[in-house]
Amino acid sequence: MLLLDYQNVLIESILKDRFAQGPGSIDQVVSDFDGVTFHISTPETKSKILISISVKCFPELVQYGAQAVLEREYGPFIVAPENGYDFSVQVDLEALPEDQEAQDDLIRRISLLKRNAMAAPFEQAFDEFQHLQAEASKYTSEQAPQGVREGGEVRAIHYREEEAIYIKASHDRVTVIFSTVFREETDRIFGKVFLQEFVDARRRAIQNAPQVLFQNKPPLELQGIPGVNDSGSGDIGYITFVLFPRHLTNQRRAEVISHIQTFRDYFHYHIKASKAFIHSRMRRRTADFLQVLRRARPETEEKERKTASGRTFKVQG
Amino acid sequence: MSQSLRPYLQCVRSSLTAALSLSNFASQASERHNVPEIEAASSPEVLLNPLTVSRNENEKVLIEPSINSVRISIKIKQADEIEHILVHKFTRFLTQRAEAFFILRRKPVKGYDISFLITNFHTEEMLKHKLVDFIIQFMEEVDKEISEMKLFLNARARFVAESFLTPFD
Amino acid sequence: MASQTPAVVMDNGTGYSKLGFAGNDSPSFVFPTAISTKGPAGGAGGSGSGRPAVANKPSFLTGGAGPSSHLSAKRGTEDLDFFIGDEALTAAAGPGYGVHYPIRHGQIDNWDLMERFWSNSIFKYLRVEPEDHYFLLTEPVSNIHRIRKAFPLNPPENRENTAEIMFESFNCAGLYIAVQAVLALAASWTSSKVQDRSLTGTVIDSGAGVTHVIPVAEGYVIGSSIKSVPIAGRDITNFVQSLLRDRGEPDSSLHTAERIKEEYCYVSPDIVKEFSRFDREPEDRFKKHTVTYWNGRSVQVDVGYERFLAPEIFFNPEIYSSDFLTPLPNIVDTVIQTSPIDVRRGLYKNIVLSGGSTLYKDFGRRLQRDIRHLVDARIKASEARSGGAKSGGLDVQVITHKRQRHGPWFGGSLLGQTPEFRSYCHTKAEYDEIGPSIVRRFALLGGPGST
Repeated sequence: MLLLDYQNVLIESILKDRFAQGPGSIDQVVSDFDGVTFHISTPETKSKILISISVKCFPELVQYGAQAVLEREYGPFIVAPENGYDFSVQVDLEALPEDQEAQDDLIRRISLLKRNAMAAPFEQAFDEFQHLQAEASKYTSEQAPQGVREGGEVRAIHYREEEAIYIKASHDRVTVIFSTVFREETDRIFGKVFLQEFVDARRRAIQNAPQVLFQNKPPLELQGIPGVNDSGSGDIGYITFVLFPRHLTNQRRAEVISHIQTFRDYFHYHIKASKAFIHSRMRRRTADFLQVLRRARPETEEKERKTASGRTFKVQG
Repeated sequence: MSQSLRPYLQCVRSSLTAALSLSNFASQASERHNVPEIEAASSPEVLLNPLTVSRNENEKVLIEPSINSVRISIKIKQADEIEHILVHKFTRFLTQRAEAFFILRRKPVKGYDISFLITNFHTEEMLKHKLVDFIIQFMEEVDKEISEMKLFLNARARFVAESFLTPFD
Repeated sequence: MASQTPAVVMDNGTGYSKLGFAGNDSPSFVFPTAISTKGPAGGAGGSGSGRPAVANKPSFLTGGAGPSSHLSAKRGTEDLDFFIGDEALTAAAGPGYGVHYPIRHGQIDNWDLMERFWSNSIFKYLRVEPEDHYFLLTEPVSNIHRIRKAFPLNPPENRENTAEIMFESFNCAGLYIAVQAVLALAASWTSSKVQDRSLTGTVIDSGAGVTHVIPVAEGYVIGSSIKSVPIAGRDITNFVQSLLRDRGEPDSSLHTAERIKEEYCYVSPDIVKEFSRFDREPEDRFKKHTVTYWNGRSVQVDVGYERFLAPEIFFNPEIYSSDFLTPLPNIVDTVIQTSPIDVRRGLYKNIVLSGGSTLYKDFGRRLQRDIRHLVDARIKASEARSGGAKSGGLDVQVITHKRQRHGPWFGGSLLGQTPEFRSYCHTKAEYDEIGPSIVRRFALLGGPGST
């Protein structure tokens, strides 16, 4: 597996099964990345599947327009949020769309619940960018009024305990900044190697990719933002993605939003996968060393030892 | 093999072969005990002068001989942070399996990355020159393995970064 | 965050892996413990190979691990190119991939593949950041005890290897490794017949390959008394298949035999009576099974006496096997009789079923009756010998419950959601401090003193 899925595989497969096979009772609490919890259940009747999501930073997301995005995506399926969760949708198996394609689309949309909830600030920023771009085209760069030159506010999403995403729109770009923490020395060093390559990739191979910057101090965009630790102490890294207008077109934005959301988990997944591969290498090398050492032992003939009565000994491992 | 590696390994090989003249020697401190004197260090008269062979400040071998045991400690080349962590991971992985290695010491001597302890019992059971071969081969391959792992890590990082950024293209 | 996330429960068995989150009543994912990698099966060449492949390779001749693997290591991505579970089987059916089974006889056989299997389980299926979650893994009994010669020695190093992977590769927040049999006991707490939540009882665990009878006293497995029976699910399938073949049914594939086994089989109280009942009321008893092929064609297969004969091989093995002849109830009785005398009462009282091959209707009832017969006969004999003394009797109870199929997983889910679970785990910090040997001991979860 190279890229992470955008959708939740479990929701997808449960819905697929239920749509195909008809009602059955379900009650599962499952996690997703970034502390997201889903509850899939059939509280009233077996044919009504309730899917609830709890996101740590939901208040922030609402502030950035999550409600509107979710309403757009799930309109008629939205129900009052289940107790303890932030948002719920309900699917009635007896009132499914007729044709297969519409059903598949519904499954896909619901399995993207987390993605859609997190997408709101991105969409807002992208809209703001378009607005600013239109504004800025009226001025030359010198005369532009303060607001246009500076760009919009920084949207902060504290999606994990110690980590956050910051999004800022300007008239010629949208800047997405991830702050990330390494709890372990090995991860920190591996992470550094990886991030260096993210920074270099654009220069080397993929010219049209977003520009990536990596630093240990909060970047300029984040200065003065509450909650940002300015001390620059080693553990926190800031990864900046600069999305250019070509990434922000209407046709591409859905894909770009989905993709950039997975960055943090993609990055950590690959650090772990490389550690697993290095483990494999070490196992193999250790076996090689053992082989060499075994050659130091002269070939001794294993003679079966017997007692007087003809019984044999077994060496107990 | 680079120019300075060959003489370095050759030197370790001959020093180690010389140091491995071990004999069975019962403890003088406690009756009916037979311990590696180099570890016990209770009788100074059976300890020989330790010897360091160094290739440069980052790579050296410490050989500490005694009458019935020799301790060999190796400092593995670590040019940067990445190599340092890889060496640490690898030596940890090996010492975790010390039981299978017979002569591997569970803890390295201070200032070194990995240590071996060869006693007279080992040399009696195993072929001495093959043990030396093992140490030499270990030194050769450990460097190779570390640099390969580093290469892998860089290649993987590049691949991962490019794969993530390609969809934006 | 780690304070709220549910624990991840993973029960990796020889045949199937059960993955999910603590607190749920069924695993989120159940799929074969299979992994398919590039290249033919069994070849296991290159980086995917574990120790065995290396041992055969005269690698010292080529200086290291061989030039070919160095090349592939430089390209360095083939270790990401693999599938697990059902996808692995699908991929292996096509060209280019070979399927491997990293667990053999309940024990991890290939650590390289297992590590990748876990990596995929966590990131693709469960979708969790392991740093945020505690993990509950299971292990077979034989990890601690050596059960006869049939089981290879499985030293505590296996636990340490597991911990090494979970903590060093995945940085998981905390880890608990539990014995499957003990978890199966805990799973029976959902049954209404169980009054006290004790961890004393006899577990009958029957999966695809082997059936184990494992006595557990206060959470500790009595290793010396464990017995295993070489009759389990696969044998029942084979038996059904052979009956279909004898009758010359139009379809007698293994797959059909398995479907029939799962859909129609049950345990009868008495086979002679059952035979005559079949002859008396054939229209009720005989069934027809329809096999539909992928091209839309379908055939009808008659289902007859195998409905009750197949599971009968547990109770009368002689109808199936010529070299194993001891019925399951007798095995259970022997296991309990060889256990320490002070726990026997508890072992008889709490005989817990676990695994897919114990799901036949009335399996528990028949087992309970047969064991009770054995026990009563022994009591009667000893009463006769003692001349007039009366025995207080012995309670034999076989517990059938709803969560039997994934018993160990469910037990793990039950224990993993308790508030004290985390305090029983070893954490990443403890591992870093002490090292892998820390996992040799775990405090007994759900044991005396806990809720």
